[in-house]
Amino acid sequence: MFPDLRRDVLLPVAAGLILFGLFVGAGLLYQGQLGGQERLVTLALIDAVLVLGLQIYVGNTGILSFGHIGFGAIAGYAFALMAISPVEKAKRVADAPFGLADVHLGPWTSMGLALVVVLIVALVVGLGLARSGAESGAVSATVITLALLFVTHEVARNWPDLTGGDRAGLSFRIGGGLDSRAPLYLALLAAILSALLYARSRGGRLAVAAREDDLAARAMGVNPLVQQMVALLLSVAVVGMGAGLRVYERGSILPRDFFFNLTLVTLVMLIVGGRRSVSGALLGVAVITAGRELARRLGQDGFEFFGIGLDGAPLDWIFRENLKTVFLGVAMLGFMIWRPSGLLDDWDLDRWLHARLDRWRSRREDPQDGTRPELPSEVEPDDTDVLVVKGVGVSFGGFQALDEVGLEVGRTEVVGVIGPNGAGKTTLLNVVTGLVGSDTGRVELGEVDLTGMPSHQIARRGLVRTFQNLRLFGALTVRENIEVSALVASSTRQHRLPPDIDGLLLVAGLWDVRDRRARELDYGTSRRLELARAVAMAPSFLLLDEPTSGMSDAESLVMVDQVRRMAGVVGAGVVVIDHDLNFITGICDRITCLDRGQVIAVGSAAEVQADPVVQAAYLGSSAET
Amino acid sequence: MVELLQNLIDGLGRGSIYALLALGVAVIFGVMHLLNFAHGELITVSGYAAFWAIEAGWSWTLTVPLVIVVSVLTSLVIERVAFSRVRGADQFTLLLTSFGVHFVVFAIFLLYVSASVKTFARPGWVTDTYALGSLRVEVYDTVVIAITLATLAGTTFVLQRTTFGLSLRAAAADFDTARLMGVRSDSVIRGAFALSGLLAGIASVFWLMRAGSTVPSAGIDPMLKGVLAALIGGLGSLRGAVVGGFALGMAEVLLRSRLPDSIASLTEGVVFLLIALLFIFRPQGLVSVDHAERV
Repeated sequence: MFPDLRRDVLLPVAAGLILFGLFVGAGLLYQGQLGGQERLVTLALIDAVLVLGLQIYVGNTGILSFGHIGFGAIAGYAFALMAISPVEKAKRVADAPFGLADVHLGPWTSMGLALVVVLIVALVVGLGLARSGAESGAVSATVITLALLFVTHEVARNWPDLTGGDRAGLSFRIGGGLDSRAPLYLALLAAILSALLYARSRGGRLAVAAREDDLAARAMGVNPLVQQMVALLLSVAVVGMGAGLRVYERGSILPRDFFFNLTLVTLVMLIVGGRRSVSGALLGVAVITAGRELARRLGQDGFEFFGIGLDGAPLDWIFRENLKTVFLGVAMLGFMIWRPSGLLDDWDLDRWLHARLDRWRSRREDPQDGTRPELPSEVEPDDTDVLVVKGVGVSFGGFQALDEVGLEVGRTEVVGVIGPNGAGKTTLLNVVTGLVGSDTGRVELGEVDLTGMPSHQIARRGLVRTFQNLRLFGALTVRENIEVSALVASSTRQHRLPPDIDGLLLVAGLWDVRDRRARELDYGTSRRLELARAVAMAPSFLLLDEPTSGMSDAESLVMVDQVRRMAGVVGAGVVVIDHDLNFITGICDRITCLDRGQVIAVGSAAEVQADPVVQAAYLGSSAET
Repeated sequence: MVELLQNLIDGLGRGSIYALLALGVAVIFGVMHLLNFAHGELITVSGYAAFWAIEAGWSWTLTVPLVIVVSVLTSLVIERVAFSRVRGADQFTLLLTSFGVHFVVFAIFLLYVSASVKTFARPGWVTDTYALGSLRVEVYDTVVIAITLATLAGTTFVLQRTTFGLSLRAAAADFDTARLMGVRSDSVIRGAFALSGLLAGIASVFWLMRAGSTVPSAGIDPMLKGVLAALIGGLGSLRGAVVGGFALGMAEVLLRSRLPDSIASLTEGVVFLLIALLFIFRPQGLVSVDHAERV
């Protein structure tokens, strides 16, 4: 199933070539037929590389970065300092530190080394971002990237021995400068292919899952910090390449070349086109480049640019110098207000081609043909590991949420945890899955001690949960949601036979909606998808947090069957929390009743219901009996 | 010792302005979770108002209320035109919307006024000093500190003793719950922008009296100071913002007077770096509003 050669490799490459052709073609058409400036096209090619680099990080992780141009500055200076001849350097930076004054390397060696330098910096910054708890939309992460931009800029301005300072900068000709566009074309093609292939790769998919819901991704065994780091390094490599080319093409570098202006321009390009789409990033570059040029000309020449001959006088108030800046500002603000996800949102050419091909093929085949997959059969548990929770205690401030709570679940059992609101049921599940640390007690799975492990590690050991308030990867399709956990399972749970995704879709009643986005699903379907996504991890134990909350009685009863079958498909034990007594008694072999953080009863459904302590604490206080 | 005292007074003067700006940023973050990178535009706009007023022969006495009114109105207009449309949006949209506002205001002045610096006469007493023991104290600093303290006292009173203040604090603590409790989000948000505009208006009077000029990009510097100070204080914490403002002012004065000239101009980068390090090593301590998510 992964990687699907056609979907994840061939089509992205094909789409990349088409996008490259369209972008370059538009540029050549403009400069050839319309008599446009060559330089504008050259700069657009370089901008495209920078914006694609930015897209790889911002688009896939959801973290807004102002720092990428700072990385660009580092790469740009590193490139310039290595590529400029010692004779030239003696004029500007005779005292360059680190023996750089005598270094003279070829442009492409310099470019490669510059990338190494900037990647080392990115690694350090990435560790900082990870430490700060970066996740989609985190303000702290954005401030850290902004800090990088400012610090780089100020270091560049205030370290003239290295950078030539604020006014002079470094200027040079490296072996006659960049006199052919071939390197630019190559760089652009490389950037497009990196962005597309990364987005379809394992890393890209997991990063997007974490972007959509950080916590749910962790609970499915994804470590978002690792995926963000991968995205950062790749994106910085691409940005570094673009920055090096920008310096090469200009033949000079000044601190302000890689500061706020370029940051804003590249960000506007990215958001106008659509930050979640590679095609969008390219479209954004084209639209903004064209718009700026148009605005510049209108500002300069007034309305006559169109050759209509209309005297510009009545429109003088708008067509004047600096219209270009207004255009950028209005584009940024307008898109944020009216279309924050950009022109293309997350539409991408390769996925569109894939969907087209699929539809074309299914039309050719007989619709009555057995395209529906087979129902998966039940499997026996592969081991007899028991999930043991011993003496768990948690207090929040002065409130004792859990006190000496224990639980034991075997691989063929379904165990329920009930209790009134605030009894500590969800806290118990959070402790078991590593979302909340416990003050005392242990959680063990067979021989393995899970206490204190991060939640993605626990998930990879086989404890997989669902959430009380649905946490799906909203922008992904139903199938893609399940594929995320299947992907993690394929590398971390190889000893288990992963369930067939198509079969799982069928059992969960999701086959007909498999290509719908998760956020478009109704409530009951969403619940089933969450369950199926957990099952696709091939877990040893499924932990379900109120799977029937918000469901009608009839729906709850269907859920009983659903849970049993899904658990059977992977041979997993089940721990289920719920308020709904019909559901709990219908599904559970044993029940543990919690009240105010303590276990007050353990036994079969009938035993627990008959227990006077339980009746007093829970049943007596609720109308549900 | 004398030098340190001198620095202390200078730092208080500078810090006062930053505290007013930071408080405005924190108020907005409280009700909207918006880190307002457009806050400095209030100073840009009122700067041009001051320039035109003084060029038209107004005295500073008349210009001061004008600047404050313009700042409040600008704040309300920006809320109406831009921020009211992205309420409840994700951080990504909020942050870039505020950058967009900054950008548009900048561009409008660039387009319709000019890119060059517009200067206007400063009030004569701004450079006056008087002796206090062996210290030379600027009249300006004294006025700034006194008025800032009065403003902060007034703001505290409004926040603690009025219904609006209670709604605003409730909204800052937990916006959704506050709404459920009957706090009207519209009026609280507008009120917050008016308050933020008022505080920025007072700050911009001080700022302009000292600068005596304005440019389209004049807002960037005060915006950075306000945002940085609010970040130091822990975003969303109103008291923290004021403390952050004074701390930033003090730190700047001390750094500038103690560090050799060649690196003294690094201050902004240094502050940014320190905040980044704080975020990295004490992520819980800095943003007081990012509560743990309920699962």
